[in-house]
Amino acid sequence: MAQNPYLPHKVKILEIKRQTKIDYTFKLESSIKPDNGQFVEVSLPKIGECPISVSDFGDGWIEMTIRRVGKVTNVLHDLKEGDHMFIRGPYGNGFPLQKYKDKHLVIAAGGTGLAPVKSVVNYFNDRLDLVKQLNLLTGFKSPEDVLFKDELEAWSKDFNVTVTVDQGNKDWTGNVGLITGYVKVMDFPNPEEVEVIVVGPPMMMKFTVQEFLKLGVPEENITVSFERKMCCGLGKCGHCKIDDTYVCLEGPVFNYTKAKELID
Amino acid sequence: MGYQMSTVEFNNVISKLLLDYRILAPVCLEGKGTFSGTDLVTYGDIERIQDVVFDRKTVYSAKEAVFPPSETMFYFTEEEFKQPSVDQKGILVFARPCDINAFKRLDAIYLESGPYPDPYYLQLREKLKFVLMECDHGFKNCFCASMGTNETSDFSLLVRSEGDQIFCLINDTGFEDLISESLASNSIRKVDLQPGFVQRNKTRLQIPDKLDNSLFSHPLWQEYASRCTGCGRCNFSCPTCSCFTMQDLFYRDNPSCGERRRVWASCMIEGYTEMAGGQEVRKTQGERMRFKVMHKFSDFKKRFGFHMCVGCGRCDDVCPEYISLPRCVQKLQEIKNGGVR
Amino acid sequence: MSVHTKKLIKNAYRITRDRDITALRIRVPGGHLPVEYFDIIKEVAQKYGNGTVHITTRQGFEVPGIPMEMVDKVNRLIAPILKGLEKDIGVQVNDEEIGYPAAGTRNVSGCIGNRVCPFANYDTTDLALKLERIIYPNDYHVKIAVSGCPNDCIKAHMQDIGVLGQVEPLYNPDRCISCGACVDNCHKRSTGALTMVNYRVERDEKRCLGCGECVLTCPNSAWTRGSNYYRVVIMGRTGKKNPRIARTFLEWVSEDTVLKVVANMYDYIEKHIDRRLPKEHVGYIVDRTGLNVFKDEVLKEAELDAKAKVAQFIDFGRYFYDRNQM
Ligand code: SF4
Ligand code: SF4
Ligand code: SF4
Ligand code: SF4
Ligand code: SF4
Ligand code: FES
Repeated sequence: MAQNPYLPHKVKILEIKRQTKIDYTFKLESSIKPDNGQFVEVSLPKIGECPISVSDFGDGWIEMTIRRVGKVTNVLHDLKEGDHMFIRGPYGNGFPLQKYKDKHLVIAAGGTGLAPVKSVVNYFNDRLDLVKQLNLLTGFKSPEDVLFKDELEAWSKDFNVTVTVDQGNKDWTGNVGLITGYVKVMDFPNPEEVEVIVVGPPMMMKFTVQEFLKLGVPEENITVSFERKMCCGLGKCGHCKIDDTYVCLEGPVFNYTKAKELID
Repeated sequence: MGYQMSTVEFNNVISKLLLDYRILAPVCLEGKGTFSGTDLVTYGDIERIQDVVFDRKTVYSAKEAVFPPSETMFYFTEEEFKQPSVDQKGILVFARPCDINAFKRLDAIYLESGPYPDPYYLQLREKLKFVLMECDHGFKNCFCASMGTNETSDFSLLVRSEGDQIFCLINDTGFEDLISESLASNSIRKVDLQPGFVQRNKTRLQIPDKLDNSLFSHPLWQEYASRCTGCGRCNFSCPTCSCFTMQDLFYRDNPSCGERRRVWASCMIEGYTEMAGGQEVRKTQGERMRFKVMHKFSDFKKRFGFHMCVGCGRCDDVCPEYISLPRCVQKLQEIKNGGVR
Repeated sequence: MSVHTKKLIKNAYRITRDRDITALRIRVPGGHLPVEYFDIIKEVAQKYGNGTVHITTRQGFEVPGIPMEMVDKVNRLIAPILKGLEKDIGVQVNDEEIGYPAAGTRNVSGCIGNRVCPFANYDTTDLALKLERIIYPNDYHVKIAVSGCPNDCIKAHMQDIGVLGQVEPLYNPDRCISCGACVDNCHKRSTGALTMVNYRVERDEKRCLGCGECVLTCPNSAWTRGSNYYRVVIMGRTGKKNPRIARTFLEWVSEDTVLKVVANMYDYIEKHIDRRLPKEHVGYIVDRTGLNVFKDEVLKEAELDAKAKVAQFIDFGRYFYDRNQM
């Protein structure tokens, strides 16, 4: 048989970090070199495969933040450091980092949507001089759902980070309210110079994009990332298709001018 | 070169072919129809020409020869992935022009789409050769002429059955020896033979050239929401539907071993777009019908330059709710023409 | 006028409310007949009857309003019906010009079966004809009905013998795409005999009714029809005394077994009937002899293959006329 792209390879779990009750971050030993925003197919033989976006990567490792939502992810959560899982990929198109150069970059991430952009945030945080300004707006359901607490704290020392929750609790002293509320009050003297990344649940993305458009940010300056059912990751199985577009091939990251035309 | 011979003589040819090929053709499985007292005409292995059903359309298509409904991708033994081995024999498939043209669609998905050719498809596809079956008048619901898939030159043999005589045209020099070996000793006659193709069907379609998002909210789709039960028959019988889903399992008698396989998927069946966690993007049968129609008559063409549907009419033949895909396309055309509201 | 009522009744006529007036019952085995016989029925009704016809619950026709002295003429007129619907299918009719040779054993009724109904598992009319050949003419009072599937549209459960079609569903895992439709449908419509294990369907043979719903549901012909079988329910009845629904006596038996059991039942009646009573129905005989005697005698020489199941005990339940509860 010819080279088999469905064949996954075995990777070792270097570190597991519990983010929330249902979100764990796995650091894996791997030599793959993904682009920021790409995904991999993670599998456990005999259990199944699922697409997971790479939340960060470096020399010899990649990191994924996995929510416990189904058969495969439930079992993944039972693994321990030193155990193995299987991956194939990376797949899809990542964020066009070059495009953000010398721009005011605003990243708006809702919930688990923060995972696929984490490496983008890190990238620019390490190279703050590449962009004019960096803003991160991130919203979660409740304080218990906040992801990457350590990173958020570190980032907020270096650039402008807004964390908000839909519903606070007695210990929460931060922002409360939807992300859109914080977008609304932003002020862009020169909206043409603003580049925006929006990632999150469908409703959050829809309304957040609308707010940026209202502020005068041109459509082509908005990048979004889609979450769709994926199976093969290779443009064959059909599950991810929207109109004539395969999310696994042309996405998950899309320019908004394209994304707005995609109707499921 | 064309030849005429008796079925007995042609069966000798088949016997020879069977040494190197698995031969698949439309066969009639008695009593295997859905309803009691009905037969199932479908693809199956044949050993003699009398097994081949020439005068009826199959319920399922020839795609199964290279894209089986359920296919093992890997066997897992402890920590190892093992790919199943394949039969070394070639595959010879009796097929009509629409079905032969359908392979071009499958090729587009499996060999051209994405960064890699699909190795499972490829290894079977490379062995595949066609025996052309002609259609006298076409069948009910066929609309190949409208799709431009009523003719083909991609066949190794043409086989025509008339009474106890078989007419065979060899269109692939690789097969020439087969007959010439028999020629000397037998009463095989050389004849002039040209493939005949249907030029008109009862069902005729004009495919609207610009099917776009503006039709997505048309009330037309709501009708299907109430009619379609989401059974998936239209996809499973379609020679061009290529979607699949992967599944992993472990053997109950030996849980440390198992397999990963892929099975046919249907965009009409609930769950096709469901993500882990339960969200599903197309929830109604109306949306699903729209998606299917768009794939067959618009989306695919945007990517590959020709329509996906080959007009075999099987989806219409098999729908238990009497939903006709060609009729739906006609309605879209009428809407485009301003006919239907 | 002098009429031998016993002979008249045996000739498929009845004593009616109106003095000297009778009504003829025409048998239609399996309830399916060529329409040409309508002309004859119409002629009988117009010429000798009162111009009406009643469709009986047993799927025959009853032509009322016939003067008793016209019986011979009517019998000659219906000769083609006796020939076509009885003699030609193999029923022993010695002289078709003299009317029906017996009326005790009733017409075998049947649902429409697989000639039309998508749920049916066999040709009910065909089985009805085969049964008619075995049981008719006969004076014992027996009611038989055949249903294509467990839906039992013909109410076989109200008969002495009810036959319900079964099919053995055959599963081809290589065609199964794990859509779950069969599992879901079996739970909703039938007995919940199917479960999905490891993306494959497992059938609990003990629960499976053989209704064929899985075959009907599967979009990919992963389920197909295997052999046909029958479930035989027995001793259901209506009537004043202790009416009850029939219960399963045999399951997964062949057509030959069904025919053999029915034939044997007539020997059983012959042997055990209480001749002091006017006409003891078979159900009451079974009540007297007990199920075991019935079972041993009707299964004599009946071949049961490995799948066949025989009830070892049947609780028919009871019917109460308790005015205190009303
Ligand atoms: S269109 Fe017909 S065949 Fe297709 S899913 Fe709907 S009901 Fe089934
Ligand atoms: S969509 Fe229907 S008519 Fe077209 S190729 Fe498929 S089954 Fe045939
Ligand atoms: S019509 Fe549906 S099932 Fe068929 S190929 Fe297209 S998306 Fe797949
Ligand atoms: S009993 Fe079954 S087979 Fe007969 S008519 Fe009813 S549903 Fe159809
Ligand atoms: S309906 Fe057919 S394909 Fe679907 S799960 Fe049942 S057997 Fe498998
Ligand atoms: S995930 Fe299979 S085609 Fe995109």
